[in-house]
Amino acid sequence: MSAVSEYVGNIKDAVTSIFEGMAVTASHFMRKPYTVQYPDRMPVRVQDTLPFRYRGILEVDLEICTGCLACERACPIDCIVIVAEKDPQTRQLLLSQFDIDIAKCMYCGLCSELCPTGSIHHTTEFEGADYSLESLIRRFVKDPVMAYKPKKGPETDSRIAPILNRGMTYLDQWAQPGGEKPAEEEPA
Amino acid sequence: MSTLHTEEMTLNMGPQHPSTHGVLRFVVRADGEVMREAIPDVGYLHRSIEKIAEKVGYHGFMPYTDRVDYVCAMFTNQGWGMACEKLAGIEVPHRGEYCRVIAAEFNRIASHLLSVGAMAMDIGAVTPFTHAIREREMINDLIEELCGARLTFNYMRIGGVAWDLPPGWREKALAYLDHFDPILEEYNALISWNKIYVERLANVGVITPVEAINYNLVGPNLRACGIKWDIRKDIPYSVYPEFEFDVPVGDGHWGKLGDSMDRYVVRIREMAESSKILRQALQKIPGGPVLAKVARNFKPPKGECQIRLESGRGDMGWYVVSDGTGYPWRVHVRTGSFAAMGIIQKLSAGLMIADLVTLIASLDVIAPEIDR
Amino acid sequence: METLVQHLIASGAFGKNASPDMVATIVVFVMSAVVFLGVAFPFAGIVSWAERRVWARIQSRVGPNRVGPQGFLQWLADGVKHVCKEDIIPDESDAPLFKMAPYLVMLAFTLPWAVMPFSSSLILADLNVGILYMTSVTALTVVGVLMAGWASNDKWSLIGGIRSAAQIVSYEIPAGLSIFPVVLMTGTLSMQGIIRAQGWAPQHWFLFANPFTFVAANILYISALAEGNRTPFDLPEAESELVAGFATEYSGMRYLFFFMAEWGNLFIIGAIIATLFLGGWQFPHVTKSVVVMNILQVITFNVKVLFLVFVSMWIRATLPRVRIDQLMTLCWKYFVPISFVNMIGTAVWVAIWPDGNAAMGYIMFAGALALAAVFTQRVIYYLRRSRMEVYFNPTI
Repeated sequence: MSAVSEYVGNIKDAVTSIFEGMAVTASHFMRKPYTVQYPDRMPVRVQDTLPFRYRGILEVDLEICTGCLACERACPIDCIVIVAEKDPQTRQLLLSQFDIDIAKCMYCGLCSELCPTGSIHHTTEFEGADYSLESLIRRFVKDPVMAYKPKKGPETDSRIAPILNRGMTYLDQWAQPGGEKPAEEEPA
Repeated sequence: MSTLHTEEMTLNMGPQHPSTHGVLRFVVRADGEVMREAIPDVGYLHRSIEKIAEKVGYHGFMPYTDRVDYVCAMFTNQGWGMACEKLAGIEVPHRGEYCRVIAAEFNRIASHLLSVGAMAMDIGAVTPFTHAIREREMINDLIEELCGARLTFNYMRIGGVAWDLPPGWREKALAYLDHFDPILEEYNALISWNKIYVERLANVGVITPVEAINYNLVGPNLRACGIKWDIRKDIPYSVYPEFEFDVPVGDGHWGKLGDSMDRYVVRIREMAESSKILRQALQKIPGGPVLAKVARNFKPPKGECQIRLESGRGDMGWYVVSDGTGYPWRVHVRTGSFAAMGIIQKLSAGLMIADLVTLIASLDVIAPEIDR
Repeated sequence: METLVQHLIASGAFGKNASPDMVATIVVFVMSAVVFLGVAFPFAGIVSWAERRVWARIQSRVGPNRVGPQGFLQWLADGVKHVCKEDIIPDESDAPLFKMAPYLVMLAFTLPWAVMPFSSSLILADLNVGILYMTSVTALTVVGVLMAGWASNDKWSLIGGIRSAAQIVSYEIPAGLSIFPVVLMTGTLSMQGIIRAQGWAPQHWFLFANPFTFVAANILYISALAEGNRTPFDLPEAESELVAGFATEYSGMRYLFFFMAEWGNLFIIGAIIATLFLGGWQFPHVTKSVVVMNILQVITFNVKVLFLVFVSMWIRATLPRVRIDQLMTLCWKYFVPISFVNMIGTAVWVAIWPDGNAAMGYIMFAGALALAAVFTQRVIYYLRRSRMEVYFNPTI
C-alpha cells in the first residue's frame, strides 16, 4: 500500500512543483529585463553612471604631482615608472618620465591612496581595448616639467587651484591610511 | 546469469569543458554510463600566489589575495588582514570590524548565489542561473559603490578597511535586502523544490560524517553531513559574537543525510542567515574610524601565526611566517575546495556520468582556490 | 487537394490537352516545394529567434534585438555564418555515414509535412493512415542520431547517440498508446477525419471529452517532447556534460541541420496535439465563401500550433534535465501503465456513450478554466511579491 501511495505522491509532487515553477517563469514574462543595452541604447554614457569610487583606468594630473614616488613604491606589480631628478641648475625636482602600463595595472587602488595631492587617480574609463600593446603604456610627460611644491596656505595659482581642489576632494572621500577619519554615518 | 564482458572506456573531461567549475580535469573510467572511478587532475590554475607574497611585501599582497578566490574576495582580504594584525598585535577599530562583516556577508550571499545558480545550470535549468546572476549583479553594484570594483575588491587593509561606507549606502543596502528575501523564496519555488531537480540531487554523492571529517571537508559540505561546525560560532573572530544567527545543518530530509540536496539546501539557508546578519550589522554599526594606524613600511616581529575564518567555501586558514623584514618569509592558504577534490575520487565509484557533474557542482569547487 | 486539382483542370487553367495525372503530379510537386521551402525551413529558422527572445524575457534579459527589426533577421545571420564555416570532417570518422546523418534527421523532420492539415482543403495528402504515418516517420531520427554518434569516432558522441536512441525508441510507446483513445473515439486514423469529428468550441474538443483523453493528451505532449530531444529530456545534447552530445564533431551547416530538425519538430509536435486534441482547424461557419473560410481555418490551426510551440519553449526554459535512468523509469513505470489505463478507460467510455457525452465536455472545460484561474493567481502573486518593475511589452 505504501508503494501505491508513494507512486501517487510522486505524481502529485511532480505536477505541483512544476506548476509552481511555471508560474514563476510566467511572472517573469511581465517583468522588465534587467539588461542595460550598452553602449548605444542608453540615456547617458556608462562612464557617467559609475560611482565616484570606481577604480577605472589611471590618470595623472602632472600639474600637482610632487614627485614623491610614493605611488611607484606602493604598486605591487611595478607598472608605474617615474624618473624625477634634481635639476643641477635650478635645484628643483624635474619629472622627465611618468609611464603607467595599464596592461599590467590590476586596478587595486594602492597608488592613488598614497598620493598627497590626489594627482594620480582612477577615472571611470574602462574601455581600454586597443590594437597594439605599446599604446597601453600611457606616457604622461611630454616635456620635462617641474614637480609641484604644495604651498602652506591655499593654492593661489588659478590654473592649478581647481586641479588641486579636485585631487584633494578625491582623497577626502577615502580614509587616509593611519588617519583618524571621522565617521560619515550617524550611528543608529 | 553470467555478466557480459564489457570494455571499460577511459574518458577525459578535459580542462576545457562547459561544466566543471573552472579549469579542472577528470580522467573518468566508465563502463557505459556508470563510472568506476573519476581521478581529478589539478594544477591548471597554479599562479604561485603564495610565492609572490614573498616579493611584494605585506601591503602590496592585499590585491593578490583577491585572486586566490575571486568569488569570495572579501574573505581572502579579511584573512590576510587578520593574519598580519595577529602577527603585529594591531587592533582593528570597532567600526572597521563592522564594515568588514558587512562586506564579508554580502560577499557570502554573492558567492552562494553563484554556486546555486551554476549548480542549477549544470543540472540543465538555465533560468535560475540568470536570476541568481541578476541578484549578484545588484550586490556587485552595491559593493562597487563601496569600494570601486566588482570582483577583485581590495577593500580591506591591514588594520581595518580602506574606505568608510559612502553616504546613503546603508539605505540602499537595506532596500536590497528587502528585495532579496522574497526573491530567494521565488528562487526556491522555481528550482529548489522542483521534483525533477530533487530527484537529480537526492541520494547522489552521499558523504557520511566520519568520511567528511577524515577527508578534511569544511564549510557547507561539512555542515550538510549533520556536523554543526562554523568558525563564526565555534572559534569566534571579529564582531560575530554580537550578532544573532543560526547555522543551518543538513538533515537528510530529501534523501540520505549528506547527499547533494543537503549541500544545496544548506547553501540556500545560509543566504537567508547572512541576510539576517546584514540587517543587524547595518542597524547596529557604531561610529568611529575604520582603519588603525599602521606604518607604511610594515615590519611585524619575527614569528608565525595562523588564523581561521569562515569563507564562502568553509574554513579558510592563513598561515604567515615573518622573519622581521618587510617581506613575509612564507605564506600559506588552506582552502576548502582543495580538500573537496580529494573526496571526489572516492565518491565517484558507482555514479553515473551525469551525477559526476552534480557532485562537483554540489561540492562548490572553485578552481583558483585549489591551485592558487 | 484533389478537388482543387480537378477544379483547376475543369476550368481549363492548364490548357485543353493536359492529362489529369501529369497536372496532379506537377501541382503536388509545386505545393510540396512551397510548403517545405516556404513554410517548414523558414519556420525552423524563425523558431530559433523566437526561442531566444522568449527565453531571454523569462531570464530577465533581452535576447537578440539588433539584427533587423527586433532582431528578426538573427536566424538568417546565423545561417549565413554557419554556411561560411569550415566543414570539418574528422580524420578517423566514417565519412559517408558522417555526412549522411544530418540528412536523415532532416528527412524525419520534412516527411510529416505531407499530412499537415492546414485547413479543410489545404493538405498535401489526406492519407487515411495520416496520424500513424506521422508518428512512424518521426522515428527516423533514431537512425540519424545513432549514425551521427557512431560515425563521429568520439566516445562522448557515442554516449550521446546511444542515449538518444534509447530515449526516442522508449517514448514511442506512450506516444502511440496515447493516440489510441482518440482513434477509439473517431474510428479513423486520417488527420482530416479526426479533426472533422471535433467541433470548433472548446467543449467539443477531444481534450475535454473525458478525463482519460485529458491525461492522454498530456502524456502525448510530454512523450513527443522526449522524442524531439527537448528539455527536460535533452540529455543527448546535454551541454554541460557532453558539450553537444552526438553533434559534437559537427561544424558549420551540418551542425545546424540537427538543430533545424529539432526546432522544426516543435511545429510537428504542436500539430499532432492540435489535430488530435484541440480541434485542428475547426472554425465556426461564419461565411459561405470557401476562400475566406480556408484562410480563417489556416489561421486557427497556426494559432493553436504556435501556442504549443511557445509552451515548449517555456517548458525548456523552466525545467532541469532528467537523468537517463530516471527518464527510463518515467517512461516504463509511469507513462506506459497510465497510457494503458487511458486506453481501457476510453474503450469503456466509448462503449457506454458511443456518441460522446456533451456534459462531460462542459465539466472538463470548466475544470480547465478553474486551473487556469489558479495559475493566473499564482503568477500575480509572484509578480506582486518581487517588487520588480512590471513591463508587459514584448518588444524592447
